[in-house]
Amino acid sequence: MSAPDGPTTGRRGLSLGDLVLLAVLATVLGFLYWALVQAWGALQLAMGPFGDLAQHVLAGGWMVAAPLATYIVRKPLVGIVVEILAAFVEVVFLASPVGPMLLLVGFVQGAGAELPFALTRYRRYGWGVFVASGVSAACASVLMGAIRFGWLQQDWFAWRVGLTLVSSVLLCGLLARVLGDALARTGVLDNTALGRARRAAARPAPQPHDEVTVA
Amino acid sequence: MSAHSPAAPRFGRALEHDSVLHRRNPTVKLLVLLAVSSVLLVPVDIATPSLVGLALVPAAVAAGRLPMRTLVTTCAAFAPFACSLLAVNAVTREGEVVAQVAGLEVTRTGLVVGASLAVRTLVVGALAVVFTTTTDGPRLMTSLHQHARLPARVTYAILAGYRVLEGLPDAWTTIRRAQAVRDPTRRRGAPLPRDPASLGRAAFALLVGALRQGERLATTLQLRGLGSGPRTVHRPVRLGPADAVLVLVTLGVCALVVAATSRAGWLLTWSTLG
Repeated sequence: MSAPDGPTTGRRGLSLGDLVLLAVLATVLGFLYWALVQAWGALQLAMGPFGDLAQHVLAGGWMVAAPLATYIVRKPLVGIVVEILAAFVEVVFLASPVGPMLLLVGFVQGAGAELPFALTRYRRYGWGVFVASGVSAACASVLMGAIRFGWLQQDWFAWRVGLTLVSSVLLCGLLARVLGDALARTGVLDNTALGRARRAAARPAPQPHDEVTVA
Repeated sequence: MSAHSPAAPRFGRALEHDSVLHRRNPTVKLLVLLAVSSVLLVPVDIATPSLVGLALVPAAVAAGRLPMRTLVTTCAAFAPFACSLLAVNAVTREGEVVAQVAGLEVTRTGLVVGASLAVRTLVVGALAVVFTTTTDGPRLMTSLHQHARLPARVTYAILAGYRVLEGLPDAWTTIRRAQAVRDPTRRRGAPLPRDPASLGRAAFALLVGALRQGERLATTLQLRGLGSGPRTVHRPVRLGPADAVLVLVTLGVCALVVAATSRAGWLLTWSTLG
């Protein structure tokens, strides 16, 4: 605890406010995901041998936290941190049967989803970057599953890749942008990088000293 | 601590009673569980995960004094996933065909790998249930700060998330009822709507409310000077010799089982699989 991580951290470091925002985001998404899983087991049994493919249809949904958090906070490592926090909440507070391995899965998926944003140096948030984020997250997710469950030696590998790709682009990449914009419109994100960027874009001639103006 | 309504789920709280496992260091327990599930990633035969499970699960349940009912009901929740792992692997792997089911070829290799993955899921799941039911979430955060040197800002952020989580079931019910009562087409006494659109609206409102609450919490924590320097801990968590025993016994059992199955020629991994 000797690291100087007080409120004097620079613009790039995560402030306490950022961390709490990420933890809350992770908690609510973790809770919604947990509620969804309660209904999902039955569907999996009903689909018989194809039940295992159901997870790929939903794959993007549980990675949406990473691009959404990166869109809102716009700092390095945010995607990874939020995915690990979400995994932590699920393991410790919601009793996920996957166990602590989920922390590793969260890290890999978060890194996958964040990579395209890192490549733009956290400066571009167009639709294309979100699609790339979905594709990259899908690749990371499939790689992880191939190691954990040996998907490479199975017949349906192409189906797994295809379904994960579609799901990740829609439910992880594009949904993150839609959700972020919808949240920003409600005003709860006014004090975040996303809220500031939207105000700056709405104002044709930005003046540097009017940050306190109430819109 | 806030008063709980008895019906609300107790997220992240250990079962009330005391036991050997309750008293162990939470960080150590988390690391042991992580180590066991990492070891179980390697074998894809049936014997290794079954033997590890037979040795560790009853011991963990006894040490945690876990009621059988709790274990069975929570394990039933992830049994479908185990079944689907068995089913999908049985019909999708190359190998000697032992049966034809609905036009799909069931192979011996597929059955072995599927059963192994299913047993692994059940064993890790059962151990994870024992972990959550004997570990207090907030105490784990204190321990992670003390022993894993996690910065106080991070542990307090997670605890703020935990505080939000405690209120989520009540908030969910309130939002769902409030939205239903504003629906002009709804009859009195009708059940809450379950279509995806209304569930989505409620989920969005839940997220907005939680983010507002989070912002207030962050401001409060900052006002109390959190993150501005080193801190002391209110109720320190102990780390003692008994925790070392837990690590040695658990990892020793895993090592013994892997050595035994490898000696007997039962151990299979992805690379030795035919």
